[in-house]
Amino acid sequence: MINRSDAAVAAVGGRKPIDWRRAGLVFLSRYGTIVGLLLMLVFFSIMAPNTFFSRANFLNILSQASLTAIIAAGLTYTLVVGEFDLSVGFVASFIGLIVVGFMSYQGLPIWISIALALAVGIGLGLINGVLVTKVRINAVISTLGVGTMLTGIGFSYSAFPIASGIPRAFTNLSLGRVLFGVPNPVFFMLGILLILWTILNRTDIGQKMQAVGANIEAARLSGIRVDRIKMFAFATAGFCAAVTGTLLSSLLGSGTLGVGDGYLLDAFAAVFLGSATLRDGQFHIVGTFVGVLILAVGFNGLAILGAPSNFQPIYKGGILILAVGMSALARRYAAAR
Amino acid sequence: MLASSPDSEGSADGGSANLRSPEGWMEIRGLTKSFAGERALVEADLDLARGEVHGLVGANGAGKSTLIRCLAGVTTADRGRITIDGEELRQGSPQASERAGLAFIHQELNLIPHFSALQNMLLGVRKTTRFGLIDWKRSSVQARAAAERVGIHFPLDTRVSELSVAERWLVMIGKALARDASFIAMDEPTASLSGPESEKLFSIIRDLSRHGVAILYVSHRLEEVLDLCDRITVLRDGRIVDEAVRGRLDKKGLVRAIIGHDIRSPEDREHFTADRSGRPIFSVRGVAWRGAVKDVSFDVFSGEVLALGGLVGAGRTELAHLAAGVRRPDAGHFELDGKRLDLADEAAAVEAGIALVPEERRSQGLMLQHSVAYNMNIASLVNLRSFPALPFLSARKGRRQAEDLVDRLSIKTPSIDTKIASLSGGNQQKALIARWLNSGIRLLILDEPSRGVDVGAREEIHAAIRALARSGVGIILISSDVEELAILADRVLVMREGRLTGELSGRDITEARIIELSYHTADSGQGEPA
Repeated sequence: MINRSDAAVAAVGGRKPIDWRRAGLVFLSRYGTIVGLLLMLVFFSIMAPNTFFSRANFLNILSQASLTAIIAAGLTYTLVVGEFDLSVGFVASFIGLIVVGFMSYQGLPIWISIALALAVGIGLGLINGVLVTKVRINAVISTLGVGTMLTGIGFSYSAFPIASGIPRAFTNLSLGRVLFGVPNPVFFMLGILLILWTILNRTDIGQKMQAVGANIEAARLSGIRVDRIKMFAFATAGFCAAVTGTLLSSLLGSGTLGVGDGYLLDAFAAVFLGSATLRDGQFHIVGTFVGVLILAVGFNGLAILGAPSNFQPIYKGGILILAVGMSALARRYAAAR
Repeated sequence: MLASSPDSEGSADGGSANLRSPEGWMEIRGLTKSFAGERALVEADLDLARGEVHGLVGANGAGKSTLIRCLAGVTTADRGRITIDGEELRQGSPQASERAGLAFIHQELNLIPHFSALQNMLLGVRKTTRFGLIDWKRSSVQARAAAERVGIHFPLDTRVSELSVAERWLVMIGKALARDASFIAMDEPTASLSGPESEKLFSIIRDLSRHGVAILYVSHRLEEVLDLCDRITVLRDGRIVDEAVRGRLDKKGLVRAIIGHDIRSPEDREHFTADRSGRPIFSVRGVAWRGAVKDVSFDVFSGEVLALGGLVGAGRTELAHLAAGVRRPDAGHFELDGKRLDLADEAAAVEAGIALVPEERRSQGLMLQHSVAYNMNIASLVNLRSFPALPFLSARKGRRQAEDLVDRLSIKTPSIDTKIASLSGGNQQKALIARWLNSGIRLLILDEPSRGVDVGAREEIHAAIRALARSGVGIILISSDVEELAILADRVLVMREGRLTGELSGRDITEARIIELSYHTADSGQGEPA
């Protein structure tokens, strides 16, 4: 079995007192986000026992979190393979516009419109993937370029919000409550997170994605087709952005330019918070979900406590910086261990 | 130098009293450091006189790097102190160590590739003008003087990226001298140097020593240590187990001190001869690439360990990269089982059955933040599916395969879930070899498999390679360690300047013959790439 000599050596050498400062930092870098989330829940529950601490409000938080969680889970994949996707927010906006347009302008049936829109999302992800892997343009540049172009294309598709000719079934997609009075987006979120978690942790391709992100040269020499793996990650990010865009339009009952753009920052903050959760600075789905909850609980609690709305961007930006900092801290302590 | 050394704390006879005399310029007392409960260094005492060349040897994980990191101020010891010239060194501060005149040269030379040699050397110099700005003129005078001292002959405005590894070492030493270092720690300096290049380094070290610069020389190459060092300290499991002056230890004694038992001597070496009557597994046919590899042809047979000998820069790594699909040959081709290959990339090579265990273990082999199990399983995921047709992996199969591999290669790890980064170099290397054992490969190329690995692990790596060959896999072994080639190979092909210059098999495989073929003649062997 496993050789025990190292353990024997350690036993002979005896134990030294624990370095508390170090242990504290390691704890913070792994469980800090979860503790933070719990503290926030306790704090807001005490401050607003009737409004915050209620089933209706928790469902509300989950429902708000679900769109961010879906887009952030897709973004997580690109970060797992060591890339970036700055286009996700723009893709969500664009898809949200055209999915409504397909129904309203082109008069396509709802399911075909949605299927087409999701396919376009995957296609946009693949374009990002090709630009990054084959044309070898830095991901920051290529995805920002693609995203910016989409804003323009969206504007030429429809400069005005599309609010007419939208079937009721489409708005019910997000407004409906199929089970237990829980809003539908929550189920979409849980389904997508479960699938993405399973792929990342329990399949060949997920293991290979992690290898590509951990050490691309080693992954290549291990026989992994790195470019294909990265394209899969970008395609998934595109798909998830498209789902978020579709649900967003359904929620708003219209197709409006630029509505999804803001999700980019939320998603990044959530993904980086997630990487400082449990797994030593690695990007993963459960972490991302924790990150999304921190954002959603914070927004909701602050709003309930009556914080002015201009406080939101401050909170969001602060969280993003904190998240990236904690993620770096987690990686540093993981490396030292 | 001195005639005896203290074998125990109590022996305060004349000799050891002398060691602790005021000429002990650097004194380390009771240095102790633990990481996460594991003791890396225990009560280490060490003295260094001015101008002394002091060897530091020990297996990987014995505490050498911890000791050096404490000196460099990168790590703070839990206990113990370091005094230099009577003054206590403030620990945990790289700046304080630098001010005390300590310089450190690691295996991965910390040079900026697109800076010139002079610019790199100036990074170490802190001459400032009255206004606190860098005084470039005075600094460069100092740097040029240092360059002269180490015998740099190439122009100082050459970019570091264009220099050979040996020349980079000179730049690093020059950099240390330019900042008036009176102590230089060198970690595995000859690991990537050829014979004559090493000789040159040794003469520089001797010269530095004559000028009062103390050298801490860390190496796995024991002959060098024995030859070069005035005194040798042996570390094992964080403790100093032996300290000897020159002449008191021989190689055997040193090995025994390092690992605690003897190893097989080259005299009772086995001679391997694989059956070469059948069809070769792998053939190289007239392969050439950019002047680094010139018209190379040979065959590898099933169960054969074919070694490529030669100097660093002879084109062996490039050839390995071509065979593994990292690069495509300009001319010629490869054949596997008689079928012609056209490898578009590494993945195509692995699919065909050719794998490479690269020279750069950390940067090209390991996924450092992942577990031992993950690193070993990543190339054979298809075997670990719950159902062959579905992409889902079975955690149980993954664990079983990893445990089996740890067992087969006697990888020393607390568990298969341990991060591979925390294993010693030798065990990491074994895990990288393990990666290919269940992947159905036909040919494994190993580039410097035991570089920077301690003596015990080297033996185990050799056993693993032989076992793999016995199972019918063809092996191409690249090593600059001539002894390793002689121990391990069925056949040795020697490369020089991109060409094959000779073939040795059976009893003809001797270190002397390999070296002879590696250098054109005794004279031209001195020529450096510069």
